[in-house]
Amino acid sequence: MMADYQQILDRLYTHLRPMAPQGTRLGEDTDLISEFGLDSVNVMDLLLEVEEDFDISVPLNLLADIRTPKDLARAIVRLLEAG
Amino acid sequence: MIRTATPTINNRPLRCADFPTLAQALDYAAQGVTGYNFYDGRGRLRAALPYAELRQRAQATAKRLHGLGLKRGERVALIAETCPEFMEFFYACQYGGFVPVPLPITINLGSRGSYIERLRRLLHSCSATAAMAPAEFLSFLQEAADGLKLRFVGSPADFYALEEPAVELESSGPDEIAYLQYTSGSTRFPRGVVITQQAVMANLAGIVGTGLAVRPGDRCVSWLPFYHDMGLVGFVLGPLASQLSVDYLGTRDFAMRPRQWLALISNNRGTIAFAPPFGYDICARRIHRAELDRYDLSCWRVAGVGAETIHAETLERFADFLAPAGFNRHAFLPCYGLAESSLAVTFAALDQGMVVDQVDRRALEDRMSARAFAATDGRGERVRAFVNCGRPLPGHEVIVRDADYKALPHRQVGIVSVRGPSLMSGYFQDAASTHDALGPDGWLDTGDLGYLTEAGLFITGRCKDLIIVNGRNIWPQDMERLAEEQPEVRLGDVTAFVASHPKGGEIVVMLVQCRLTENERRADLVNRLQRMIYSEFGIKCRIELVPPKTLPRTSSGKLSRSEARRRFIQRVGWNQRSEIIVEAPKAAVSS
Repeated sequence: MMADYQQILDRLYTHLRPMAPQGTRLGEDTDLISEFGLDSVNVMDLLLEVEEDFDISVPLNLLADIRTPKDLARAIVRLLEAG
Repeated sequence: MIRTATPTINNRPLRCADFPTLAQALDYAAQGVTGYNFYDGRGRLRAALPYAELRQRAQATAKRLHGLGLKRGERVALIAETCPEFMEFFYACQYGGFVPVPLPITINLGSRGSYIERLRRLLHSCSATAAMAPAEFLSFLQEAADGLKLRFVGSPADFYALEEPAVELESSGPDEIAYLQYTSGSTRFPRGVVITQQAVMANLAGIVGTGLAVRPGDRCVSWLPFYHDMGLVGFVLGPLASQLSVDYLGTRDFAMRPRQWLALISNNRGTIAFAPPFGYDICARRIHRAELDRYDLSCWRVAGVGAETIHAETLERFADFLAPAGFNRHAFLPCYGLAESSLAVTFAALDQGMVVDQVDRRALEDRMSARAFAATDGRGERVRAFVNCGRPLPGHEVIVRDADYKALPHRQVGIVSVRGPSLMSGYFQDAASTHDALGPDGWLDTGDLGYLTEAGLFITGRCKDLIIVNGRNIWPQDMERLAEEQPEVRLGDVTAFVASHPKGGEIVVMLVQCRLTENERRADLVNRLQRMIYSEFGIKCRIELVPPKTLPRTSSGKLSRSEARRRFIQRVGWNQRSEIIVEAPKAAVSS
């Protein structure tokens, strides 16, 4: 599968938007916890949606280095390429 | 790798943990055909590890550990991922006379730094001489061990590359340490519970013999982490000591796809599965009604509940929701325990389900008396309901004491104290904490509050200030310390507690006395704290900056969390449905 960063990022946004009140800023570099306001249940939901949508399995250890949509999109690119 | 799960029915007579040591328990289990099975998040069998194969692999790894020059009794730290290698190394320590120390996996978004710090504190606390992490966690462990004096840090493959000298193995004896357990206690000031072989074997005999009354045909299913006492003692050691097969699901896989737990029970005809209340809650909330006809849970004879205060409504909701899938509500088995007593202290009676005691809320609040509530007493809002956690395992005693260590009569709330053969020897290299918890008379002060009746033990609150969110225990002093490390915050300027929101759910609140006036700097502090708290504890927290000298203090000058909480609830108007705070007697307040 072609792992296009921008397409992946756009798809991530569609998963993320419903998880915060309207008007919450969301960009590549938004901190998902402190700025966007995800809690631990949101994070589980997000990972579930990402795994189902991209048909990948996101290893737990990767989360430790993910703070922003950019980090997450890059991790997905790598997982798809390793696929 | 074997791709068939180990069978439920064994070809050897069932023995209920009547072994002097864990190594001897495995020697016997290895004669049969049962074992451990590991499933992925999509329900596929990833590995099967029959006890016979585990024994072989464990003995080989024990020799490699000897080859490293490890001395008897030295600690081997293990990142406790739900995988066959953890089992192999844990039992290698049993055969080699070393002490395994399961380490937690607490990874959240962006938490690399705080996770490494936590591991480092643990490696230091147990003065480990060797440490193992599955390959995907090795970088965390290596960084954590950097600068500490460990002989060897590696992945299973790194250990397999080591020499396997032909040493004669002498397994860990009844008086020797079986493992150190770090789940109980604060993350900032970790305390390792020391459990000997005879302590854990006594507990296991009580659990599988009396509490569960294990029988041929039983099969266990578990997603509980191996670094937690219920996961380790209840679902790693217990099944092995009674030669049962177990089906494991990773903890995060359960959190993401709770249906897999039910699917495993249903498909493999599991009979014994435990969870803290939040596990049952996630299932009831996240599983779709439409999929219930895929499951047949009529095989599930023991649905154990422990590890947190049990709220009856949570379990009722689960039972109602899953009744169409054949779940029997009498399978609920509430129990009480703690790592300091290996795992279990009391078990409710089998096949009874959850039994609730209704008490008069006012008497509880005013006099710490759990007076039975009579129907004639009037309105329901004056009632508080507690779940019966049952009676002590054979050979164990439970009493409820006041601040002067005097035993209290039935239905009087006090500190739950436990005595018996399963108790820890103490906290590892921490005489002061050991002295605080274990009296010379052999009674362990659990710090939990409860009362006794003819029918059993009722827990009214665990460790007064402990914050429990989604099954995670958080010590408020750990959160407070983190805030105090910020340059804008002074020591003693922070208090953290949990409060019930009137719309349901519990909110963790942190109040910070703060001298900053500029809005931007105030917002920066709040954001930073939120991020750090999430990354270290995995929770969201409501943070409020309050003016200096506004947090309430006790007469001795210490911050009073309970008073801060009471005032906060009043100020934000949540008092309509607020929890009652049953104050602990003086002795339990030390923090």
